[in-house]
Amino acid sequence: MIGAKVLLVVSAAICFAITGLASSGLEGSKHDFSSQDFSGGDMCAACHVPNREDTPKNAPLWNPKADLKKRFNGQDVRVSRSGDGTRICLQCHDGTIAKPVVPGVKTTRFVHTKHPSTFTAGHGRSDHPVGVIYPAFSDQFHPVTTVLSKGTVLLPNGRVECTSCHDPHNQSGAPYMLVKSNARSALCLTCHKK
Amino acid sequence: MRHHRIKICSLTMFGLLAVLSRADETVVNSVHDLSARGPGPVRAIYENEICIFCHTPHNGAPQTPLWNRENPRTHYRIYRSSTTDARIDQPTGPSKMCLSCHDGSMALGNVLSRPLTHPIMMTARTIPPGTADLSNDLSDDHPIGFRYDRALSNADPQIRPPEVISSKLPLGTHQEMHCTTCHDPHNNERGDFLRISDQMSTMCITCHDMKGWSHASHATSGKRTTGRTVDPVERLKYATVADNGCINCHKIHSAPERERLLRFRREEDGCLNCHSGTIANFNIASEIRKRSSHDPTRRTRVHDPVENALTMRRHSECADCHNPHAAAPNPIGLVRGTLGSLVKGPNLRVSGITISGRDINHINYTYEMCLKCHADGVARPRLTTSRQVSQTNTRLEFQTSNPSFHPIAGPRRNTDVVSLLSPLRVGSVITCTDCHNSDTARAFGGSGPNGPHGSIFEPLLVRNYDTDDFNTESAQAYALCYGCHSRDSILGDESFSRHRRHIVDIRTPCSACHDAHGIYRGQGNSVNHGSLINFDMSIVQSADTPAGRRIAYEDTGRLAGNCTLTCHGFTHVTIPYSNAGPRKSALKSGKIYRGGRR
Repeated sequence: MIGAKVLLVVSAAICFAITGLASSGLEGSKHDFSSQDFSGGDMCAACHVPNREDTPKNAPLWNPKADLKKRFNGQDVRVSRSGDGTRICLQCHDGTIAKPVVPGVKTTRFVHTKHPSTFTAGHGRSDHPVGVIYPAFSDQFHPVTTVLSKGTVLLPNGRVECTSCHDPHNQSGAPYMLVKSNARSALCLTCHKK
Repeated sequence: MRHHRIKICSLTMFGLLAVLSRADETVVNSVHDLSARGPGPVRAIYENEICIFCHTPHNGAPQTPLWNRENPRTHYRIYRSSTTDARIDQPTGPSKMCLSCHDGSMALGNVLSRPLTHPIMMTARTIPPGTADLSNDLSDDHPIGFRYDRALSNADPQIRPPEVISSKLPLGTHQEMHCTTCHDPHNNERGDFLRISDQMSTMCITCHDMKGWSHASHATSGKRTTGRTVDPVERLKYATVADNGCINCHKIHSAPERERLLRFRREEDGCLNCHSGTIANFNIASEIRKRSSHDPTRRTRVHDPVENALTMRRHSECADCHNPHAAAPNPIGLVRGTLGSLVKGPNLRVSGITISGRDINHINYTYEMCLKCHADGVARPRLTTSRQVSQTNTRLEFQTSNPSFHPIAGPRRNTDVVSLLSPLRVGSVITCTDCHNSDTARAFGGSGPNGPHGSIFEPLLVRNYDTDDFNTESAQAYALCYGCHSRDSILGDESFSRHRRHIVDIRTPCSACHDAHGIYRGQGNSVNHGSLINFDMSIVQSADTPAGRRIAYEDTGRLAGNCTLTCHGFTHVTIPYSNAGPRKSALKSGKIYRGGRR
């Protein structure tokens, strides 16, 4: 019993140490907009409102101004089946605001309709596909249950979205707001069987 | 309880072992894991991500799969071979991605996701020289960048049709061959990142359908390869000849001999590496050092598998007579005339020239192989004995329509040949190698390898054959002839009634009167050149006759004829001989038999 207590304390200490070192959390991260003029000093208001009548699914209290119906390369992102976890991000990361991430993404066709795994981007560069259904039976990928059992990588509606790898609230504190550290490419290898 | 613990313990251990043994199935901890904790000598100093050296999730190169490197702009020297039907081009697609590191030109740490000014710090800037550095010279590597399509397999019967190729070896989007056809950069389970094992040539024969390979010695021999001449510097992957298969002789990357990717620059070295008494049963290296030999070391890089027998330069390489992809052991008992001149194991699937002069890819008879060099081609050996009528084209000498010939290309029905030893008889067919063979050949009672590799008796004869004038007769002096023609019969004057007088008393060699090969029908007829009569002009001269100077032999019937010539100072002018009388009495007394012994 005492041993269990000691273990708890030690593990808690380790957790604290790790999280403390990595400066996790929204505060002070690049998603902390409180110092921006448009936010009015509110860290969350850029994306969230306190209450909303027509709350969209999977987008808790989403600021209606951020609702997105952009057309990329003649295709509505909604039509191109990107889930909420992607649309929300592209509100900003479409190359107009957060340029370094996806520059010139306005002409981007995010998901190739015939070959969902390929991702030809109009900005002359390629990006990991989003909005694609996670391949259920493939020797190139770990089974979906294995992926989800780790609890870090999420597959909203069974799809790979921005939020599968990135946590906009920066809870883990990993670089690039990843859901977990990619040391030893651990994040990549959560799904990829390589 | 205790048992349970042990069980759990062993299960855990087993699981751990399974995990450890499966470690190579992923890129993690393979030599492609270039992170700071990677196992290889080439790795990052600080970077701890594994995928980043090739892949990036954002802003990758336009090509799949999320490529994180620039493509090399190198112009490569590509593979060329006289025997390939593939149209080999500069590498493209995935191959270029591999070459972005493996051609040694680009810095390993230069990835797109890092600014050029801050590349990933590596232990080596570019790939260090060694087996992984292919350089910009791809001519010594297995070709890539060609289309593996039906047209190719139709043009080359030794390439399997693309539709039967295992899906484990994927081709490119346009059916082109890439590095990734054989290699899976993420899986080093089998070593060298191979997609399937190369043991027993499994990898190679997926595409290459070498005719005769399944029964070839090189595919089936269980001999251990550890005793090879070059073993101290170059170790083969597997222990036996059969397991190594193709890689016994071929090197798939950075081959010393570019064309056909051979392990040795000099063709014969590849063979003699094992066939010098080290691995193979017989020592060929000692054979080719004999006085008269088909010495493959004499010329190098002259032989070409697609050479034209008419115009090729003179040479003899192992591959002229042996197809290493099909050569099989010599079946025991198949020697000397018993099966005629049908091609035997070691010479299976070798190209040749038929007796009618036609080029063939696979010989049916052993002599067809010899005719490649000893017939119409400009490379044929020159005349050694000056004769009444000269012929260096052995194909013409052995025509079955000739007035007289040794029965190589077909049987001869000359009942005048009464001296044959069993099992030979009139109508038997012999082969070139019945006379031209190693002096220590197994088939002739020796202990060495069969075949005309080398002999102490010139010209590459299995037994001694004196051709000098004034030569004392003995069983040894004309051992070659006496191997088939009974010495008793010859010296008993059973055919030519003056044999003993000429050979023993006056000491003229067999070759003074007989031409061992044959007389072409265009140069003589059965009257003046029957019984292989074609005088050696250094021994036999013309005679002064009332009709002028003449040298002639005339066949006047069974075992009878006359000669006009000068020899050893004796002038013969139409001196007749006949053996019809004594021969009949000999038949009655049972000394000789019509048509030889049966």
